[in-house]
Formats: sequence, structure tokens, C-alpha cells
Amino acid sequence: MVYSSLLFIYGFLPVSLILYYITPKKFREMMLLFLSAAFCCMISLYFLIFIAVFAAVNYIFMHLISRSRRNEKLSAVPLAVGIIIDLVAVFAFRTEFFTWLHRMIRAPEGFYPVGISFFALGAVGTLIDVYKGRIKADRNMVRFALYIMFFPRLLMGPLLRYRVFTNILSNRSESLSEMGVGMTIFVKGLAKKVIAADNLYMLYTAARSGDVSEISAVTAWLGAVAYILCLYFELSGFADMGTGTAYLFGLKFPQSFNYPLFSIRLKYFAARWQSQVTQWLRRYITKPIYGVCSKRLLREIVFIMGWGLFGFWYTVDLGGTVWGILIGTAVIIESRLLKKKIMNFTGMIYTFFTVVILGVFLSGDSLGGSVRYLFAMVGGNGILADADGFYLVKTYIVLLLVTMYASTDLFRNLMTRTGRNKVKAAVMAVSPVLVLAVLILCTAVISYSGSSDMLLMKL
Amino acid sequence: MMKLTSRITALLTLAFIAVFSAMTFFGGKRDISPEENRVLAKAPELNAKELYDGRTGEKLDRYVTDHFAGRNRWLVGSSLIQTELSESIVNGVYVSDDRLISTDDKGITDASAMAEVFDSFAENYDGMVYFAAIPTSAGVYGDVLPGHIVRQTESQQINALYYAMDSDIRKIDAYNILKMLKDNYIYYRNDTKWTSYGAYCVYKTVIQKLGFQPNSYDKYSIEHVTDNFRGNLYNRTLSRRPKADIMDIYEYHNGAEVTSCIVVRRDGINAEGQIFDREKLETGDKYSMYLGDAVPIMRITTSANTDKKLLVIKDDFGDCFVPFLFQHYSEITVVDPSVMTGKLSDYVNADDYGQTLFLFGTDSLSDREMMSKITP
Repeated sequence: MVYSSLLFIYGFLPVSLILYYITPKKFREMMLLFLSAAFCCMISLYFLIFIAVFAAVNYIFMHLISRSRRNEKLSAVPLAVGIIIDLVAVFAFRTEFFTWLHRMIRAPEGFYPVGISFFALGAVGTLIDVYKGRIKADRNMVRFALYIMFFPRLLMGPLLRYRVFTNILSNRSESLSEMGVGMTIFVKGLAKKVIAADNLYMLYTAARSGDVSEISAVTAWLGAVAYILCLYFELSGFADMGTGTAYLFGLKFPQSFNYPLFSIRLKYFAARWQSQVTQWLRRYITKPIYGVCSKRLLREIVFIMGWGLFGFWYTVDLGGTVWGILIGTAVIIESRLLKKKIMNFTGMIYTFFTVVILGVFLSGDSLGGSVRYLFAMVGGNGILADADGFYLVKTYIVLLLVTMYASTDLFRNLMTRTGRNKVKAAVMAVSPVLVLAVLILCTAVISYSGSSDMLLMKL
Repeated sequence: MMKLTSRITALLTLAFIAVFSAMTFFGGKRDISPEENRVLAKAPELNAKELYDGRTGEKLDRYVTDHFAGRNRWLVGSSLIQTELSESIVNGVYVSDDRLISTDDKGITDASAMAEVFDSFAENYDGMVYFAAIPTSAGVYGDVLPGHIVRQTESQQINALYYAMDSDIRKIDAYNILKMLKDNYIYYRNDTKWTSYGAYCVYKTVIQKLGFQPNSYDKYSIEHVTDNFRGNLYNRTLSRRPKADIMDIYEYHNGAEVTSCIVVRRDGINAEGQIFDREKLETGDKYSMYLGDAVPIMRITTSANTDKKLLVIKDDFGDCFVPFLFQHYSEITVVDPSVMTGKLSDYVNADDYGQTLFLFGTDSLSDREMMSKITP
């Protein structure tokens, strides 16, 4: 079950909201855990068992680390073992080298633990935090299990540190106006997924359907732009749907994407793109290394490697790693070269183009293929534009322009930051109806297949 | 002010969700959808095994989707929105004012493997084998589709299949006949299949190959039985942009008549069949008017003054084609492998027939499982 499905929106969500709000406040965390278990169970019972075991193992290791903390060397052992188990769990399902393990744990055919990349990172981070003494090992099993399997976070929801999560959980504010905020965010995410991402995906596949050595430059560019926009709308759409759902239960989750695509500098793009994951990498991997490196060059290399790791986390292959390294390098080059102030507009343009061009590496199946694709983008096939390209431009231009506009912060600013009171009042008056209208629109779009679970990458 | 807006948003959207989920869960359930012409999903039964590997979740998803309140209206809205948002493609069907065209038919994917099936039939058969591969409407009208969709045309697919087939099989080039006549009403606007007129045009060639003179067009009286037919492509899109289709019955005057028509139903029971089952016109499955519901086997005897017998092995394309053959044979046995449960030889002894005609649309010719029933 995904958030963008009729079963979730019109089945699971209302039922779980009713169950949650009739539960006395004292037991609501238990209720959330029960609902999360039900959510996992709808994916499959095996998944529920898998994730429960995963949570239990991490819970045990967390306490082993905490018990042995007085002796730093001793406590490193459960830390290392715990991290290895978590990473093996990730690699077992995201790569093809562990099929024997699938048989060993009797995984059903085609089983994939959705969101493993997220909750495994969360678990690793918690183990490290306990080891470092930043947080105490929580005795509350309900909270820890909820941290791993909380359903609004499970599918690509925001990645939160344990303490941030428990703070949010403790400071719940369940009110109708929070639910309104939640529904707005949820519907926004739903529209991002089913209206923007799914149609951009059609453009992406259409542009990519031709042979890479024959496509025209225009088609190649369309494919590249569609890919990066689609990726953004898909990832941020899922994150928004998760965040919105969490708001419905009174949990104020932070944002994952802060309009990164049209940032005015590459470094802002790097800071705004899936910020919780990049922050995680910084906190647990690159920052400790920074401490050892004094030279600027070394630090920069560490920064680049951190991004390489981030790219690797996306695709678990060379293409993603190269993408990460190139983005990191581009950010470094920018910080070295760009001393003077430049116009925001210029910055926006080069940021977007850099991201689109480098995105080819993230989307490609192989490095060679990506290079050939870039070659096609500069007109290397000797065709600048052909009938196919024109057709795609003609058909998708509105969608492209609208989605590009929606991926800037202009629209948000129009809604929230306008100074004029009249405009503000109008926006306020229209927005409930707008949200409802978009919800109806999205329901219609997913009504045929019942869900929209096409994904560019499985995380 | 901000809070008030949020509260109104919450009330509006949650009320909407509540109403539709209540209507979905407590509303009446249908077993079949005439608009989509298919059986809707049944409520999943809880059992440990399916729950364990996730099939229950999938079935529940399917069930809620199929029985979602006002599904048909949602679908109509969906196809309107989809055509505006991006390409005019709804659920793999290209929507235009002229016609609906399927964009995701696999076609003949493995010509040589397919050819082997028919070769092995021909090798073990004493009579003559004739073969007509019929393009779908996408094959004839596919040139209006965007360039990124059509990779291998159906004419190439059919040529590859014919090329791979044994030379003893007489192949009939239906593609070029139909392509030449593409400005006529030879294909339904809302279906992948040909009209009776399209079938008639191919019949003229087929029957000459089979060794007869074709009946001329003016010998038939044509009855428009409905002008409100919307076929399988409409079922996938619920788009009413093209006009509804006309279904015709071609009646041959003063000729041979059908004297008996016995079918073996899917459950193995013999029953009386019908050449034109007009009751079907009142249902969502109007096309089944031709030869009635799909059955594994149908034995037709006619009063034609001959002792010639023909075995026709066909898919849906054959339904409106078969009646044209009545004037030439005293016994015609029609076999539809798509609904056969066993092998062809379980139903009929092919050697009883001097001639065998295969008549398939290219969309069936990718179905290995269905075709494997033909191999002896």
C-alpha cells in the first residue's frame, strides 16, 4: 500500500484517524504503533515480521551499547555488529549479491522491505548516538518500535534522528487546524506524485524510448529535464504525503525538500535537496572526519566523498556515486571560483543546468550510456531536433512549464509571504476549496488503477 | 485567520474523504461493470498464506479500487484530465476525436516460436492449412500515433511471422487489403477489432484461396443492429470522444441456411449456440452478439449443397467473419483456443476436415500459452 492509493486515502487513513482520536491520550502512542503494524501488515505479514525483528534487534543492540558504555572499547563491539547487521539488511535487498540470504530468511518471492534505506539509516544513527552518549538508550519499546515503523514515515518519509522524533512525538498538538495543515501538505504531495511526477515520467520514458545513438538533442534534453523534475516531484511528493499524514496525528515533521531545483547557488541546492539524508551523512560520517582534517583541500575531498556516498545511497551503483561526486565537486568549484556577487537569475540558471546535466548520471544504467546520452544532448548525433522532439515539446510544454514553476518557491511565496492584505485574504479564502479541488482531481487521476506506485528508484 | 482557514480545509477535505469512504464501504457492490466489460474484483478472503506474502493487501487494493464509489464517473473524469495534462494517452490508449488506438499491444514478439506452433500443426495434418493474421486497429491506423510509440509496425510483425512459417501453409495477406481500404469503415472506432465490412473485404480474398468464388457485396442485405457500440478500447478509457460504433449483420438472401449450431461450453456441456445473439446488444459486451459468448468449440451445419468441411481456429476477430463462410461449406467447426481448457485434439479431430483456416488478430499472436494448445 502506498500513500497515493485509494485504499490508503479512502480506507486506511479515515479508519486510522477515527481509531486514533477515540483512543484516550494516554494510549495514543500504542495506537500509533498498532496502526503502523496494521499498515505493514497490509504490505505483507512477512514485512511486519521483518520490520519488527529489525526493530527488536536494534533495540537489543542499543541497550548492549548502553550497558557497556563505561568501557569504550567493549561497547564498540555491539556498535560495530549492530551497524553491520543494519547495513547488510540494506544491501541484502538493494543489491543482487545476497540472494542466499533471502532464501535463508525465507523471504517470499519478490519481497522488498519498502523504506529500508530510510529506517536502516535511522537505526544506525541511533546506535551511534547512544554510543557517543548523545542520547540515552530508550527503555520505552513502543517508542523505539514506532521510530522504526511509524507508517507516515515508512515510505520515503522524512528521515529523523531518534531524539528529534521523540521530541515531536512528545510535543504532539492534535487539533483541527493542525489537521488542516496536514491535509494541505498531504494533498500537495499527492498532486506532486500523481499529477506532476507520473506525467513527467511518461515524458521521460517517451524521450528515452529511442536508441541513444539516434535521438535528437531536443529529445535528449527533454528526457534529462523530465528526469530531474520527476525525481524531485516523486521524492518530495512522498515526503510531503508522509509529513502531511503525520500532521493529521499531531506530529509536526520537518520538510525534506526546500525548493532545491531553482536555487540561486549550487551550494543551496546541495543544502536543500533531501536535506535530512544529507544532514544524516554529515552528522555521522563526514563531520567526524572533518575533525581530523585540518587542510582545506582534504576537507573538500571529504565533502565530495560524502556526496558520493549520498549518490550511492540512491542507486547502489556506480552511476549514482559518480552523480554524487560530480555534484560535490561542482559545489566545491563554485565555492572556489565564485567570489564576486552574481545575479540571482544567472545563479539559478547555471544551478538548474548543472543539476539537469549531472542528473543524466543518476538516471543512466551504465557510465558509458550516460556519457553517450550527454553526447546526444550536445547534438553529437548530428540531429538537433526531429519530429519526435517537436511532438514531445508540443505535448508537454505546459506540463514542463507548470512543474518548473511549481518547483520554485514563487508559488509558496505568493501563498504565504505576500505583504498585501487583500491578496492574503483572497488566498486564505480560496485555499480550502483549492485543496479540496486538487484532492478530487488526484482521486480521479488514480481512479483507474487505484494507486500510483511507479517509482524511479526503490529506496 | 490562518487557523480558521486550516480548520475549514480540514473539515472540507476530511468530510469529503469520509463521505466517499462510507459510500465505498457501505454502498452496493456490483459483480460486473458493463462500462468496462469485465468482472470486478471480489472481496479478499483472509487466509494466513496470502496475508503472509502480501497478496491480501494487493487484493484489498484491487477490491477498493473496483468498488470505489462512483468509479465510472471518476474514470470519465480521469480520461478527460489525462488527455489535457500530457499526451492524449489514457491507460495505454491513444484518444483522438476520430478513434481510440491501443498503444501497448505487444504484437507478435517472437515470430519464430509462434511459427513453430503452426508448423507442427501443419506437419501432423493431412489437409490444407490457411493462415490469416489480421492487424489490429493500431496496425492499420497506427501512423497517427506519436513516433516514440510505434517501434515495429504490425506489417513487419506479420511479414516476419509469415516468413518464419512453413511454405506449405497458405498465407493470406490481410494487412495490405485492409491498409488499402483504411478510409472505409473497416475498423471500429472504439475497439481494436474490424467491422463486418472489414471482415467481408478480407473474406473475398480468403475464400478465393480456399477455392471458391466470393459472394458479391450486393447479394447481402445489411442490418444495422446497433449504433451504440463501444468496444474494448472504450472499456479501458471510458472516453466518449469518438462517435459510438455501428454493428452490422450481413444477411445473404436465397442462400444456404444454418441448420444446426451446437456448442461445447467452457464447462464441457453441449448446448445450442446462436450465430447472432441479439440479447447481447443489451449488455456491456455487445460484440458477443457475433456467435454469442466465447466457447471452446462450435459446430455449425448448413444447407449448402456441398460436402465440404472446414475447421476454423480463431480468436475474437473470427466472430464476425465466420458467417460469411456459410454459403460455401456444409459443416464448419469453429475453435477458440483462448477459452479451451485442454489441447485442441481433446475437442476435435482435425483430420476430419479437408481444410483448416487459422484466423488471428496480431494481439493474440503474442500469447504463447494460448497458442500452445494448438500443438498436437
